[in-house]
Amino acid sequence: MEFIIFIALLAIGFFAGSYAEQKHYLEIKQRERKSLHVPLMNFGAKQELPYAHEAQMFVGSVVIANDYFKTFAATLHNLVGGRVVVYESLLDRGRREAVLRMKEEAIAWGASQVVNVRFETSNIGGQETTRTPAMVEVIVYGTGIR
Amino acid sequence: MKYVPKEIKEEVNVTAVHPLVNFGYLLGTVTLAGVILYASLGFIAARLATRIGPETEEKIGNTLIAGLISDPESASDDRIIYLTALAESLTPQDPSLPPLKIHILQPETASEDDLANSENAFAIAGGHIVFTQGLLEAVESENELAFVLAHEMGHLHNRDSLKAMGRSLVFLMLVSVLGQGQSGGARVIPATINVANLSYSRSQESAADRYAIALIVQHYDHGGGSLGFFERMQQQELDLGALNTVTEWQSTHPLTRARISRIKQIAAAQNWKMQGELTPLPEGISCVDFVCED
Repeated sequence: MEFIIFIALLAIGFFAGSYAEQKHYLEIKQRERKSLHVPLMNFGAKQELPYAHEAQMFVGSVVIANDYFKTFAATLHNLVGGRVVVYESLLDRGRREAVLRMKEEAIAWGASQVVNVRFETSNIGGQETTRTPAMVEVIVYGTGIR
Repeated sequence: MKYVPKEIKEEVNVTAVHPLVNFGYLLGTVTLAGVILYASLGFIAARLATRIGPETEEKIGNTLIAGLISDPESASDDRIIYLTALAESLTPQDPSLPPLKIHILQPETASEDDLANSENAFAIAGGHIVFTQGLLEAVESENELAFVLAHEMGHLHNRDSLKAMGRSLVFLMLVSVLGQGQSGGARVIPATINVANLSYSRSQESAADRYAIALIVQHYDHGGGSLGFFERMQQQELDLGALNTVTEWQSTHPLTRARISRIKQIAAAQNWKMQGELTPLPEGISCVDFVCED
């Protein structure tokens, strides 16, 4: 009985998770095309920053939850090693979504470009003791100029 | 330098492999490793366990039985004397094994009521055979009862309980080592090992059945009526057609239907009679000391 519940959870995790992921990727690609005209730039400490009338910081953050299937596949990866393929797409989605949120806000403000973009990632939940499926938060921030 | 917007089409950050393919590979590797480890270590542990001497086995058995029946030594029941005599008449005591001790699990003295009321019998390391009160109420002839008894004696003869103990030790060790820190691994490994283990257990059951039918035919000159208990059980079992094999994988015993036909095949191959006169049970087998109050 416990095994059947486990298989059912895996199936729910897989189907719901991959459906959400596909939908998310379609949306991400569409929004990326729309915001392509605003470049993201990074400058070194001694480089001159582009001339701007105004500058403001923009933050985009997103929390993406792991699904049961991904968690399980990843724990198996813990035994055999190798690239954790299931988490690659999770983090990729998180980064791109966070960039988009930051960029869209900057575009709405009227930014011509966003400079010095930084990424931060942190783990939410997923305590060691309870082994709950983890969630990942990705924060992207940068300075929008116009 | 002028910025020219360009869409990046290729996904460099995500490996292009279907998650299910990746998952299949993972699961395959882990289960294969688990099963190989368990099979080889389990085999060694089972071999080592059978080298335990009769005195040590008795000590182990006594601890096990104490957890099941409160105060097994003081239990006095004339039925135990009858069953011991029946066992002795089937085959004399093997001197290399601990002496046979028969127990009857009464709902009043057993630690688990449900078990005592179910129709069951089992062998425990150290020469213990436990009959449940439910089984004694359900049997209809001595031949049936003798078959169940001989089957359990077959387990003791093959030292199956000791082997099972050795293997479960390996099982616990593997689970704790492989499952450490892995919620998922801790689930899938026991499940697959369990399936592998059940198949082993079914083959032990079949071996005990073979041992039992040989004893029964030798004792009664025919195997008639000895399977009556199983035949009644079979009527309660669902026939799922093609799904039968699937349900069999998940059980410790072979399906009753398959079991009966296997025993009949053995009997046919040996030219054993499977029909004959039944020996009646002594009066009051379902009551303590053969005395029924009402």
